[in-house]
Amino acid sequence: MDRRKFLKQVSLWSGGFIITPPVFNLTPKLFASPLIKPDIIVAKGDDYPHMVRQVVQSLGGIQAFVKKGDKVVIKPNIGWDRNVEQGANTHPMVVKELAMLCLEAGASKVFVFDRTCNEERRCYNNSGIKSAVKEIQDKRLRLEYIDDRKFVSVNIKNGKALKEWSFYKDALEADCYINVPVAKHHSLSGLSIGLKNVMGVIGGRRGKIHYKIGAKLADLNMVIKPELTIVDATRVIVRNGPQGGDLNDVKKLDIIVGSVDPVAADAYATTLFGLKPNQIESTVEAYKRGLGQMDLTKCNIRYLKA
Amino acid sequence: MQYPLSKSLIFMKIKPYLKQVRRLSQLICLIIFLFLFRQTEYTGSDTIPYAVNILFRLDPLVLATITLAQKTFVTLLWPSFIIIGLTLLFGRCFCSWVCPLGTLIDGSGHFIKPGKAFVRLPYLKYVILIIVLISSVFGVQVLGFVDPFSLLVRGMVFSIDPIINYLVSLVFDSVYTMGPAVLSDYTEPLYEGLKTFVLPFKQSFFYLSFLSFFLLIFIFIMEVFGKRFWCRNLCPLGGLLALISRISIFKRIPVKACKNCNLCETKCRMDAFDKDHRFLFEECNLCMDCLEFCPDQITDFKFSIPKNHGQMNINRRQMMAASLTGLALPVLSRTSAMSKMPYDDLIRPPGALPEIDFLASCVRCGECMKVCINNALQPLFLEKSLEGMFTPKLVPRLGYCEFNCTLCTQVCPTGALGRLNVKQKHAFVIGKAYFDTDKCLVYAQKKSCIVCEEHCPTHDKAIKFNEIKTRDFQGNFIVLKQPYVKEELCIGCGICEHICPVQGRSAIRVVGKGNKVGSKSGYE
Repeated sequence: MDRRKFLKQVSLWSGGFIITPPVFNLTPKLFASPLIKPDIIVAKGDDYPHMVRQVVQSLGGIQAFVKKGDKVVIKPNIGWDRNVEQGANTHPMVVKELAMLCLEAGASKVFVFDRTCNEERRCYNNSGIKSAVKEIQDKRLRLEYIDDRKFVSVNIKNGKALKEWSFYKDALEADCYINVPVAKHHSLSGLSIGLKNVMGVIGGRRGKIHYKIGAKLADLNMVIKPELTIVDATRVIVRNGPQGGDLNDVKKLDIIVGSVDPVAADAYATTLFGLKPNQIESTVEAYKRGLGQMDLTKCNIRYLKA
Repeated sequence: MQYPLSKSLIFMKIKPYLKQVRRLSQLICLIIFLFLFRQTEYTGSDTIPYAVNILFRLDPLVLATITLAQKTFVTLLWPSFIIIGLTLLFGRCFCSWVCPLGTLIDGSGHFIKPGKAFVRLPYLKYVILIIVLISSVFGVQVLGFVDPFSLLVRGMVFSIDPIINYLVSLVFDSVYTMGPAVLSDYTEPLYEGLKTFVLPFKQSFFYLSFLSFFLLIFIFIMEVFGKRFWCRNLCPLGGLLALISRISIFKRIPVKACKNCNLCETKCRMDAFDKDHRFLFEECNLCMDCLEFCPDQITDFKFSIPKNHGQMNINRRQMMAASLTGLALPVLSRTSAMSKMPYDDLIRPPGALPEIDFLASCVRCGECMKVCINNALQPLFLEKSLEGMFTPKLVPRLGYCEFNCTLCTQVCPTGALGRLNVKQKHAFVIGKAYFDTDKCLVYAQKKSCIVCEEHCPTHDKAIKFNEIKTRDFQGNFIVLKQPYVKEELCIGCGICEHICPVQGRSAIRVVGKGNKVGSKSGYE
């Protein structure tokens, strides 16, 4: 190829790019997320339901996320047959308050579920989430066990470590997906917060995710994109995570963190453990994929006092 | 001294309805049995609220063999005295008023018509009884192969229940996955309702489902050789109750079938008459049928002081043969190489007695395997000789032992699995895990993993890891978290083996305590 031909082709190609209307395979929200400074709301206190309400209110109120008639998925971490004090699962009061908010906003269905690690009935019971959700007597609210028939295979576009995995249909089809992880220590990935919580809506043999876990979690999070992330750091496991068991490993923080940016939420929660966001592989990988902001200096962090 | 009941006015009044009352009693007992069977499951509480194992605790044969084998009285089995007392009063009424297997056999009569061949082998039940009792003296429990409730419950746990659930789910799942959404909107709530009240929570899978199914079905198929073939000829519990009923005080009369009629003899479902048309008290199960069809209403019941009734349905030669077999079985079992050979996969459930006592106490009822929340307990086949057959073992690759669950220790009717509270359970060692470093992703492929460490439930984790600097196969320096087992902390629950992500056999495996039959040595 000579110079003349090269220049001609370059001009034609670039011309073609200019003339054709731009089609970016990016959702506007994703495109905008690094540009807008995401809000991170941090509430501290001992009235957890009230703190949940405050956090959601500061993020624009539940109406900003849940429209009338929406199908909402609230995804807590109910992974382990551990009780509330042991801190391995999301605090039931947090889950309950969020469910009430969604119902108040006029959601047509509110699903609460998690694919557990221990036996599901024991996890739902022992976590306290089953009894807490049952207290809300509303037919629109459903705490369901995972139904194996609902896993569908999804091609992960631009997935770097995973090209395909099966996901839970209800999670994929939700109008509004609210991620309610508990923040805790995790021996392999460092910490388990919001991005790791996606493990509860995927099928297959999840142990396979553990090789290159950061990249794989980020890939999975390109499919499941929560509208809202509420991190439960009311009590956190600081050692022997992710299921703990020993109360000496649990630290009471009384903190709830909220953000629309899943990466920013994880990044902030990481600092509660005395770690930097860039020490958590999944946070870094998700940031690289444009899923959100991990640089806390580029976030609006607001502290609420109860 | 005789008190024919026909003289009592009340008896005369209820006499025509007694058969119906018997049927009602059978139905109620069957419903209770099925209800308790369904309740043998985790229902949201850490303790089982009902005595789901009551059937085995009512069984005097269980009491007899456990007492003989353990040389102590197991208090758990006190309810069997109710049945013994009932039999002393009314004879073998248990067989046709209570026994759920008997009820099912009676019910099957509508489907399996007795053939022309009427087979009489009444001595066999005594032979089986003698074998069971004598071998139990030597600590070998063969009751599990022949006890009616063991056969019934095991057949239901291992085959009938999974089959029904499989078929029902198949129908609803096909509608759900292939049918139009309009249809599944109606079928799914129905399915959910069935799951709540009738079906088990999850589909279960069992080894020996074939064998248990055919052993149970065999009992019903034998009906072609005459009504209640099993009860008349084979059931060792029937044999034991027959022995007891020889001194019972409630008896049917007349003691001999009337010459010109003998309808009661020809129509008796229990074949309770000998060659000379004499009535055999111990064979009668008080079904009350003959009250109904006796043309002259001669049949009656009376209270009388027991006296010698003469010959039973077994001769001396048969008794000798049975006794010798009963002696031979323990010796045969203990001299089998299989009982000496260490067997890695023999992981007994938590609370299990030392192996030799466990084998002597387990009646192979299948209750622990039914209640196991993760379908992790499975029956042995011939891995530990015939003696170990149908006893439970944990198969971690199928399901692990749930850390906070103690259900199996609660349902064991004989104490072969001693009752444990959660704290005791957390400390009860059923085996130890070890790594297969040729297979483990970290060791063999230098990939990060430690899924096992993450799942290890003990409060000081038994699986720990070292961070090591090494080179991967491309020569790059990497940091790997390399897991290892701290043996003294491991209780052998098997969750690590269950979730290990490698293909096929797990790269971390649990080895059972390694008890040999005939030795009391534990893991240590």
